[in-house]
Amino acid sequence: MAPETAARMALAGVRILDFTWVVAGPVATRILADQGAEVIKIERGDEGTMSVLGPRRIGLQGELHRNKRSAAINMTKPRGVELARRLAATSDLVMDNFSARVMRMWGMDYASLAKIRPDIISISMSGLGHSGPRSDYVSYGPTLQALAGFTHLMADARGEPVGYGYSYADMAGGYSGALAALIALWHRKRTGHGQFVDLSQFEALASLAGPALLDIAVNGRVQEAPQWRSQEAPAAPHGIYRCRPRDGDSDRWIVIAVRSRAEWECFVRAIGNPTWAAKPKFRTLYLRMRNHAELDACVARWAATEDAEAAMALLQNAGVAAGVALNGADLASDPHLAARGFFAPVKLPDDRSTRVTGVPMRLSATPGSIRTVAPEVGEDNDYILGELLGLGRAERAELIAEGVVWG
Amino acid sequence: MALGEPSALAGLRVLDLTDLKGHLCARLLADMGADVIKIEPPGGDGARNVGPFVDDRPHRDRSLFFWFYNLNKRTMTLDLRHPEGAALLLRLAESADVVIESFKPGEMARMGLGWEVLHALNPALDLCSIAPFGQSGPYSGYAADDSVLTALSGMLYINGFPDSAPVRPFALQAYHSASYYGAIAIMCALLARDCSGEDQGRGQWIDLSMQEATASAVEHVAAGFFGAGEIERRRGTLHWSRFFRVGRCRDGYVMHCTLGDWTSLVEWVKGDGKARNPTTDLTAPEWEDVAKRRADAERLFDVLDEWVKDYSRDELLERAQLLRLPYASVRKPEDLFADEQLLARGYFHEVEHPELGRTFRYPGAPYLFTASPWRVTRRPPLVGEHTGEILGGELGLGPDELAALAAEGVI
Repeated sequence: MAPETAARMALAGVRILDFTWVVAGPVATRILADQGAEVIKIERGDEGTMSVLGPRRIGLQGELHRNKRSAAINMTKPRGVELARRLAATSDLVMDNFSARVMRMWGMDYASLAKIRPDIISISMSGLGHSGPRSDYVSYGPTLQALAGFTHLMADARGEPVGYGYSYADMAGGYSGALAALIALWHRKRTGHGQFVDLSQFEALASLAGPALLDIAVNGRVQEAPQWRSQEAPAAPHGIYRCRPRDGDSDRWIVIAVRSRAEWECFVRAIGNPTWAAKPKFRTLYLRMRNHAELDACVARWAATEDAEAAMALLQNAGVAAGVALNGADLASDPHLAARGFFAPVKLPDDRSTRVTGVPMRLSATPGSIRTVAPEVGEDNDYILGELLGLGRAERAELIAEGVVWG
Repeated sequence: MALGEPSALAGLRVLDLTDLKGHLCARLLADMGADVIKIEPPGGDGARNVGPFVDDRPHRDRSLFFWFYNLNKRTMTLDLRHPEGAALLLRLAESADVVIESFKPGEMARMGLGWEVLHALNPALDLCSIAPFGQSGPYSGYAADDSVLTALSGMLYINGFPDSAPVRPFALQAYHSASYYGAIAIMCALLARDCSGEDQGRGQWIDLSMQEATASAVEHVAAGFFGAGEIERRRGTLHWSRFFRVGRCRDGYVMHCTLGDWTSLVEWVKGDGKARNPTTDLTAPEWEDVAKRRADAERLFDVLDEWVKDYSRDELLERAQLLRLPYASVRKPEDLFADEQLLARGYFHEVEHPELGRTFRYPGAPYLFTASPWRVTRRPPLVGEHTGEILGGELGLGPDELAALAAEGVI
């Protein structure tokens, strides 16, 4: 990292010792790395470069580990643990997503860390938290989504549970892990005190179930999958409609949300004042919601002959909320994201270039950036052991020879 | 929870000008001790008209939607489109640390509250602008609700079965993603303001696009396209990684997982006499390879579906967890309120609503801070509840001035 760049980063000077793996933890530390924190990733070097999440430098793994440094330290060896503890002594935060047992076993739980650095912040992002009868449960994003009710409430038209096609739980954990780290840093600035944060990914996810939980607690109402009913201000039509195939692809869909009377009038005008729209049964929002099945069928017939992108432009230009259900290729060529430069070009070490998801928040003075692509496992051994810990070349070679460090 | 412990964000003053798209952002800061003043238009925030309502009786002080997103905030009414209202907002901004807004791009400037004005008035102030498509670009004037944002971010397309319409996320996850990123950005700006160097004491303007925040939540979609040229499609209940799928059991559904200890899982399934069907034998050594389990996931889960049919979901969950297999049951959200893990950790909080003479159970914190705890300091505010206290008590307006502002509809 060039020093002049570092000076303009919000988190310049913050060092994070990162034991997190899979997705939720790495999302949290990536968010912080994008803003200039120095993230030192400690990982195993004996698992090959191809994890179940794909190759290291590109794809999801490339996104998760960009802007980070990697040391391949063998934590099953006492000398490996000793190296990690020395790194912790130079770090502001230590983050992990293990169950409580692992860090305690290494003598790297908060109580032990505070002895080597009194103002250290330790954030553990375990699946179900460090306390309670289920703290040993093994979990992943999709299993937490099932336990928290999301899979059940995301049912298809037949009422069968479908859920997310991905791990939103990992994102909920990642966001809250990053925010917790920043809040703890702020608290330390004010008071000089570090602390331990026990983050349960399950609780982070549950807290995003929203007002439905209060509806259960206050009204005792059993929640049903909302399908396409608006989950905010009442709206009708409010749904997803299949559009005309494009380049042989019939999987083209548009989402339309019509709330106020003014929006309804704009919508009707935009689609050419069809006779059905003048029917008394669609006259008010109340009636449109009551008769939404019939209304949806009318809108679906209209949409079926429209190109999705053209329909979106038509409706948006009339002031109606509408959006195409974009797929990966659509996102890559979305004109708005392109105009904002959201997907950032990066150069890979072999001189190929690719694009990655950008930094989704733009601070005017310290904007955050993508400075380095994901390191291969152990790529920064020399920097981390040499520069940070001051170990000479011979010492590092010995550590590799003894299997304490994977070289 | 001892009230003597300090709150992490105590002393920070946040003005929350958002509509429902950004309500969670300021709440995340309020929960950690920031003094959040919500500015509502006279008559109340639009979210107060959104249900569900207490006892299903619609009323602006009974919206559970509003309650969820506005716990721990104070509130005052102020018509920002009235010159007197905008002037009062500027007086509040003089001593504030953060302003959060979700107006249409350009609207703040039209009201005389744009970044240049705020920055000149209070150079240390951070302004966080949350908009569906950000402050610039061809779609910046486009309208969106949460479902439209899930569509345009790629979050929607990948849920559900390939032959039918995409399935929406439950709850307003585009707003939630944007609000979390907003809070993260604000904390970064506050820390940057605090640093030494030329930026010391200088606030920033944060341009937060909800589309970008939501697209980041499904970053594997773009990553798959840029990395491998693949378009991620809907796969029914099969997770994109291919290691999870929903299976039907005797009394409901379970979430299969083939990432745990494979030997333990196969031993169990084999012991039940269900490890093979005419085309697939899970005891074959090739399935020990995680790449094989990924490549032929659908065949594998078909065998496991037959196996779980006779189990109850709770029985399966408990036995799997004893073997450290990451299985789960597909539970209903009502089950959370009886979840012994959440109850043991004190996840739910009883919040008193004295004006209703009742106490309600609220879902709790996403994280447990040991030294500066998340806490409930006040129930969600009634319309205009703190208008007098803030304008009278803090800005020093007299009763006549308050009466005049009320008469003109400013408050």
